[in-house]
Amino acid sequence: MRIFSVSHKTAFVVDHCPYMAESSRQLIECDMLTKSRSQGVIPLAPVSKSLWTCAIECSMEYCRILYDVYPTKKLVNYIVSDSEVHILNSWKQENQNTQELMTALAAVGPPNPRQDPECCSVLHGLVAAVESLCKITEYQHESRTTLMDTADRVANRGRIICLTNAKSDTHVRMLEDCVLETIQEQNKRAAGSDRLMPIQQCELVLVHIYPQGEETLVSDRQKKELSSVLSSEVHSVRAGRYLAGKLNVLVQQHFDLASTTITNIPMKVRLTEEQHANTSANYDVELLHHRDAHIEFIKSGDLHMAGSTSRDSGLKETVTLKWCTPRTNSVELHYCTGAYRISPVDVNSRPSSCLTNFLLNGRSVLLEQPRKSGSKVISHMLSSHGGEIFLHVLNSTRSTLEDPPSISEGCGGRVTDYRITDFGEFMRENRLTPFPESMVDAACRTPVERAKFQLERHTRYWPMIISQTTIFNMQAVVPLANLIVKDTLTDEDVLTCQKTVYNLVDMERKSDPLPISTAGSRGKGPKRDEQYRIMWNELETLVKAHVGTSERHQRVLDCISACRSKPPEEEERKKRGRKREDKEDKTEKNGKDTEEKGWTTDSERLKGVMEREKDEQSECEIIKDSPDSPEPLNKKPRLATEEQQPPEKSKGPVSLLTLWTNRITQANSRKHQEFAGRLSSVNSKAELYQHLKEENGMDVHENGKATR
Amino acid sequence: MPTVVLLDSSLSMTRPVSVEGSEEFQRKNLAVHGLTMLFEHMATNYRLEFTSLVAFSSLWELLVPFSRDYNTLQEALNNLEDYDKTCLEAALQGVSNVVQQEWGTSCPCQVVLVTDGALGIGRGSLRHSLQTVKQRVDDKKFPLPFPFPSKLYVMCIANAEELQATDSMDNLEQLINLNGGEGQIYTMEGPLCLKSVQSMFGKLIDQAYSPFHAVLRCGNLTSDVQVFPRPEPVTIDEEVDPIPKTVQTDLEIVGFIEIGDISSPPVLSRHLVLPIAVSKEGDEIGTGATDDTEEETSTNQMAGKSPNFCVLLHGSLKVEGMVALVQLGPDWFGMLYSQADSKKKSNLMMSLFDPGSEPLPWLGRMSQLGPASDAAENPYGEDDSKSPFPIQPKHKRSYAQNVTVWIKASGLQTDVQKILRNAKKLPEKTQTFYKELNRLRKAALAFGFWELLKSVAELLERECTLLPDSAHPDAAFQLSHAAQQLKLASSGDSKYAAFEQNITPMLTDFSGGGGADRI
Repeated sequence: MRIFSVSHKTAFVVDHCPYMAESSRQLIECDMLTKSRSQGVIPLAPVSKSLWTCAIECSMEYCRILYDVYPTKKLVNYIVSDSEVHILNSWKQENQNTQELMTALAAVGPPNPRQDPECCSVLHGLVAAVESLCKITEYQHESRTTLMDTADRVANRGRIICLTNAKSDTHVRMLEDCVLETIQEQNKRAAGSDRLMPIQQCELVLVHIYPQGEETLVSDRQKKELSSVLSSEVHSVRAGRYLAGKLNVLVQQHFDLASTTITNIPMKVRLTEEQHANTSANYDVELLHHRDAHIEFIKSGDLHMAGSTSRDSGLKETVTLKWCTPRTNSVELHYCTGAYRISPVDVNSRPSSCLTNFLLNGRSVLLEQPRKSGSKVISHMLSSHGGEIFLHVLNSTRSTLEDPPSISEGCGGRVTDYRITDFGEFMRENRLTPFPESMVDAACRTPVERAKFQLERHTRYWPMIISQTTIFNMQAVVPLANLIVKDTLTDEDVLTCQKTVYNLVDMERKSDPLPISTAGSRGKGPKRDEQYRIMWNELETLVKAHVGTSERHQRVLDCISACRSKPPEEEERKKRGRKREDKEDKTEKNGKDTEEKGWTTDSERLKGVMEREKDEQSECEIIKDSPDSPEPLNKKPRLATEEQQPPEKSKGPVSLLTLWTNRITQANSRKHQEFAGRLSSVNSKAELYQHLKEENGMDVHENGKATR
Repeated sequence: MPTVVLLDSSLSMTRPVSVEGSEEFQRKNLAVHGLTMLFEHMATNYRLEFTSLVAFSSLWELLVPFSRDYNTLQEALNNLEDYDKTCLEAALQGVSNVVQQEWGTSCPCQVVLVTDGALGIGRGSLRHSLQTVKQRVDDKKFPLPFPFPSKLYVMCIANAEELQATDSMDNLEQLINLNGGEGQIYTMEGPLCLKSVQSMFGKLIDQAYSPFHAVLRCGNLTSDVQVFPRPEPVTIDEEVDPIPKTVQTDLEIVGFIEIGDISSPPVLSRHLVLPIAVSKEGDEIGTGATDDTEEETSTNQMAGKSPNFCVLLHGSLKVEGMVALVQLGPDWFGMLYSQADSKKKSNLMMSLFDPGSEPLPWLGRMSQLGPASDAAENPYGEDDSKSPFPIQPKHKRSYAQNVTVWIKASGLQTDVQKILRNAKKLPEKTQTFYKELNRLRKAALAFGFWELLKSVAELLERECTLLPDSAHPDAAFQLSHAAQQLKLASSGDSKYAAFEQNITPMLTDFSGGGGADRI
């Protein structure tokens, strides 16, 4: 679709000369209540609209539908012409609404029948309309500015709809000639200006309005090219409902609209006071919208099958869709191939307002194609978003994506201990919200850039599975973990982090158990002090990932380094000793799959983390800095042969039975989650009511961590 | 994007290819060889593609309906028989029907026409079809352009010189033009042999069947993925921006939104996001030749057991009922969500929005979406009871603002009756009475319908005379006050006919200490 098509700019020119004050001779009875009244009251004479009133209300209806369906980018410039030109609004988007036009029209008032007809003419308006079409709109301006070198791609086209009462066909020709001449003149002027653009294409739509009961003096004429720039068509229409029907057809043609009639709408009706029964009846409501909502019908040639002709506007067709119960709920994500704003044809009728209010209250309705036989096909949905109603087109054909391989069959599909709940929480913390246009932060980042930046910060250290982490399974670490990812910390935040660290120190002093994952391992798992060492290392990794953010982040790290259990020298010595242990440990447990390495040693674990995180280099640097870091990756390559070694080789010969039993136990342990009790058991004896001792409310490692 | 292979099985396809070597090939053998290569490629790298096989001569026949079973397709290809003359138009019509029956008219399809370029003679030949293309009546229209979005690839078992010697090439080019330029003609280079047919089909595979690999990123969490079907380039406004936009291979998540807030948005296309394992050499597991199946399965198993971000994301999106907004390119976004195929199976799916800064009016400009934690006050509320979405438009739509439309007489009559109904219930209904009265007054002033104001004034005056003795004394005062004000407005005197001005209830001794508020 082209944004700068003819329908980008519409200039309405309405004749305000004395002859427009003439009555349309369509009589409307206002005095309707007489039958319930006491007899003998003489009803008032019916009223009749002037040609002017008819022209205004029909043009307003045209604008109402237009603004409902296209609230932006389709602009109207409203011009009234008598002895002078009254331009009621501009191309500015902020001027594009019916209230503003109504206010301006009220100020103009009806034509003055006593004005000198000699000096009044619709020509003034037509000239003004051409001048106005040359004026650049904000959208054209914006596009030209962004396109720079290719600014000539921005076209200037437009349409003039002139509502008048012409004298004859010759008079019509004179009006056309005038528009043509003005375009040529104005195009010359526009060529030399920045704020003006020459008109490349202009459609003139002349609507001749004459009172009912009179013969028309002007003949209808199909669209005709008057020059390469200007085409013109003439419609000769009686005032009143014929005019309304004509403009309704025109707005549909001009803006590619189509009509859908919603049928079978169940509606509780409270009838007038005389009939006080609450009954329910089915109603029809006709809606207009972009015709692409019918694209499937149009392409498949089903338009006639699906629809019937509209009741009141003769010329056009409407597609009938049936109201469908049960309704849909808002948390369902439908496969929707298009959503188009609607406008009810008869906006004030009770069925229309019932339907629109129902939708505006936030409910959605599925619509079904009426079919003579066969299964029902739901093809559309009506739903409102922020006070605007949309007709959604739902896909009703076979999907090319049916029967895909399940995600559990693909990469990572067999891992069972993902931190699903934690990531859910992460997603909630990273929800988006709209910011006002002017909101740019100090670094000139747009909100969406800030959002990406926040995601980067929040994921610097984020183990994906439960058995890869200790600290994220600990309730006690939560305050620090939540704060450290922030862009800026307050002194109070630092204090909270420090308190968290002191708390951990306290736990260590009391030798509280940690939720170290021992899934898959037999026996005790790592010793208590070893557990704490793993925990402290992980905590350091987390904080180090953020240490560059600010000086206060650094203070948190300083606090951890200061409070950690072992002074570095001692640690270093211990570590050397432990490395031997580690090796044994490793050989004992190897042969297992990579993701289960988490429990073996912290170094193994960190390495696993590093491998998974793409940002390998920075990770390595971070860890290298640590006095307690494992040796860099390249120094300790994980050998493939090592993997294939039979388990417990280092412990001497094992029987085939042991080998087999180990294998089975391993395989089985993978299939179920270990009992929490057995996980924290010592010599297969689990202490009961542990939680009574735990002042910190620390959570025993469990999938999902319900208490958090 | 489903594929239809339309294979020429006319007699001319059995013409032998002149080669010096020992074996003698028919053109048909070369065609089958090329298609075998295509099917093999699809079976390994593009196995979710639905393909169907149609053979044609003067008639056409659907040999294999849309299927992912490439063995069946291959088998049908191997058992192909030879028929009479080439009649392309009927076959294209057949393709059109086959596709529409299966997928409707909105699903894009690829049509691979394999022919020797001998396009028939006389009636039913492509030349004849194209000559008469403009003289068709409605029900005998030429099948191109297809009613569904399509690409037509013509694979000629002939070299360009051969085709240019006759008008075949012109006719085929015309065919592509008829399809809106969507498609391409491939010819063989050099002598007709297995090697040149391979290279021709190789080009088609690169053009139309290369898998789309990307990296899905959420901050530092990443996963290598294949996006299927591959996203095709999109043009929004061919005049202002004729260069098609393509999805970049770096899919960056920008944040998360509740399903209820994104609210069934319209999308251009839907794609599966399948995590893939990339080995250290950069080769992808599972795409190589299948000669080493054992090793492949073991590496696949390994891949299944190492944690993958896609699986984590999918699980959390599903549990939380959320979607992830993902940036596809400059000013182009999409969403990731969990899509359940059945009770057991579900998948990570990506839908593409229209390119542009504001694809969904209820989310506003995409670039203005930022982290909720940056807002002064939590837009979701402390207990998740609120939402910043949908965004309210600046102006209400007509159906949400009680507009006045008098195009039908009934509209006007209803509005007058509302006033009279309230007039009878004065002074209880003073507020509604004046509200309705002012609504009518405003519309009448805007429409220049002063006659109506006079008429309603008269109605009110008459109403005043008809008041029963039991009526509240205030009623008479209000009615005559309202009538007088309407009359003044109908004079057009700017003092009384200002649009923004309202008629306010008359302050009377009965109205209870000025209780009648200004409206």
